[in-house]
Amino acid sequence: MNGIGAAYAVPSGKERKPMESLKKTMRREMWYILFLIPGVLLFTFAVIVPFVTGIRYSFTNWDGISRKLTYIGWDNYVNALQDADLWTVLGNTFKYAIILTLLVNVVALLFALLLDSYLPLRNLFRTIFFLPSVISVILAGFIWSYNYSQGFPKLLSHLGMDITSPLGNPDHALYGLIIIAVWQGIGAPMIIYIAGLQGIPAELSESARIDGAGPLRVFRNVTLPLLAPSVTINMLLVLTGSLKVFDLVLVTTNGGPGFATEVISTFIYKNAFSSFKAGYGMALSMIFFVILVIVTIVQVTLFRKREVEM
Amino acid sequence: MKSLRMLVFLAVAAVAVVFLFPLYVAVLMALKSAKQTFDSFYALPSSLDLTNFVHAWDTSKYPTAILNSVIITVLSVLLILIISALSGYAIARGNKPLYSFFFLLFLSGMMVPFQVTMLPLYQLGKSLDMLNNYWGIVLIYGGFGVQSGVLFFTGFVRGISREIEEAARIDGCSTPGIFIRIVMPLLKPVTATVLVLNALYIWNDFLLPLLYLQDKDFRTIPLQQYFFFGQYSSDLNLAFAYAVMGLIPIIVFFLFMQRFIIKGIAAGAIKG
Repeated sequence: MNGIGAAYAVPSGKERKPMESLKKTMRREMWYILFLIPGVLLFTFAVIVPFVTGIRYSFTNWDGISRKLTYIGWDNYVNALQDADLWTVLGNTFKYAIILTLLVNVVALLFALLLDSYLPLRNLFRTIFFLPSVISVILAGFIWSYNYSQGFPKLLSHLGMDITSPLGNPDHALYGLIIIAVWQGIGAPMIIYIAGLQGIPAELSESARIDGAGPLRVFRNVTLPLLAPSVTINMLLVLTGSLKVFDLVLVTTNGGPGFATEVISTFIYKNAFSSFKAGYGMALSMIFFVILVIVTIVQVTLFRKREVEM
Repeated sequence: MKSLRMLVFLAVAAVAVVFLFPLYVAVLMALKSAKQTFDSFYALPSSLDLTNFVHAWDTSKYPTAILNSVIITVLSVLLILIISALSGYAIARGNKPLYSFFFLLFLSGMMVPFQVTMLPLYQLGKSLDMLNNYWGIVLIYGGFGVQSGVLFFTGFVRGISREIEEAARIDGCSTPGIFIRIVMPLLKPVTATVLVLNALYIWNDFLLPLLYLQDKDFRTIPLQQYFFFGQYSSDLNLAFAYAVMGLIPIIVFFLFMQRFIIKGIAAGAIKG
C-alpha cells in the first residue's frame, strides 16, 4: 500500500483531491469483485448447492425418483451407524487405502532415490514408471482383469505354477486391486519425491558422508528429514485419493466377490442410484465426508508436528 | 561400486519390464485373432493384421467419442483457466478479509468428495437440462477445477511484484487493461501447470460422464470404452483393439507434454 501513495505523488505534481482517489479505489475494488464473480458462481453451482442439497436429502426418506419426500430427522444416520454393511465397507476401504498409501510411498520413494542418483537411461525409466498414471482407470481395470485371468496364469504355467485371478477370490480380491492401483499410482508421488530430492543441497549429504556416515545413515538422518514436506503431501494425496476409490472397483469387481471389495464410494453409489435409497445414500456420504475431514486434519497435524521436530 | 550400480540398473530395468507387461499384452491381443490367441497366447502375430482395429473403428463410434473428449476437455480447461486466473488475481491483489474468505471457501471445497455431491448434481443437471450436451458438463468441470485453479493462481500472483502494475495504473491503464497486458503474459508457468493437471483429469474422468453423458452421441472415450467392454466381453481381441485405440491419444499427449506434466505435478505439490 505504501507503494501506491508514493507513486501517486510523483506523476501529477499537484495535490489530488481525496474524493478522486477514493473513486479510483472504489473502481478498482469493483473490478476485483467482477473478476471474482464467475469463479464463485460456478463453484457455488457445482459444489456448494449440491452439497447443501445433499445435506437436506440426508434427513429424508427420498427414494431418488419420486417427487415426494418426508423429513425423518436423524433416522438415516442412526440406521447407518447400526448397519453392519457400512462397517464392513469402511473396513475394506481403510484396509485398501492404508496398504496402498504405504506401498505407493515406499515404492515411489525407492524409485525416486534410484532415479535421482546417476543411473543410465533414468529419463526413460521415469517415463515408463509414470506412463500407467496417464491411462484412464477404465482401461487399466480392463487390461489388468484380463491379465489376471489369462495373461499371468498362462505365463506362469510355463514355470509350472498354477494361479487363478485374485479378483475372483474373496480373500485376495482387495490385494488384486491394490496391485493395479500401485501400478497406476506411482507416477505423481515419484515425481514429487524426485523434485524434493533435487531441492536438498548436495553439500549436506556430502559432509555427512565425509564425517563417516554410511549411505543408510545419510538417508535416515539427512535425506529423509529434509524430504519431510514431500512425505507429508504424498501421504495425504494418496490416502485421501484412495479412500475415495470408485472407478477401479466399479469396472473390475463391482464390489465382489460377495462383499469383499465393496468400498464406501461404490456402496454410496449403489444406495443412491440403484437401491432407491437416495436419502440413506446421502446420509452415508455425509458420514464419509466427516471421516475424510477428520483423516485430513489428523494427518496434517501429525506430520506437521513431526516436520517441526525434525 | 560399479558392479553394484550395474545390479541396480538391471533390477530397475526388470521392474520397468514388469510395468510395461500389461500394456504389451494389450497390444498383442489387439493384433491377433481369437484363434491365434488360443493357439499360442504369447507368440507374436505372424503378420501385421489390423482387422480388429478396422472392426472396432466401425462398431464403436470411436471418432465421435474422441471428438466429444476433445471438445469437453478443451472447453472445460479453457473455462477453468479463465475463471481461475481472474479470481486468483482478484484474491491476490484485493488482499481484504472478503477475498481471504473466498480463498478459504475454495480451499475447503476441495475437501468435499464427488461421492457426496453426485446425486444432487445429477438431479440438478436433469432439472436444468444439462444432461447429454456439452455445456452442462463443461460448467460443472469449471466449478470443480476453479477450486484448485484459484489456489495456484493466487499463490503465483502473490509472488509477482506489484511495481509494474502500479506504474501502468499511473499511466492511465485500467484494471482489466493491466490484467490483460501486464499480468497475463507473466502467468504462463502457472497456466501450464493448471492446464496439464486438469486436462489429464478431465480426459480420463469416468464418473461425471457416467452421470451426465449416457447418450451414445455424447459419450467420452472412457465412458464409451466402459460400455464397449461390457458389450464385447466375448470378443476380447476386438475389445483390446479398442482399448489400444483409446491408449494412443493419451500416450502421445503424455510423450509430447511430459516436461510440462512433470513440472506441473512438482509445482502442484509445493503449492499444496
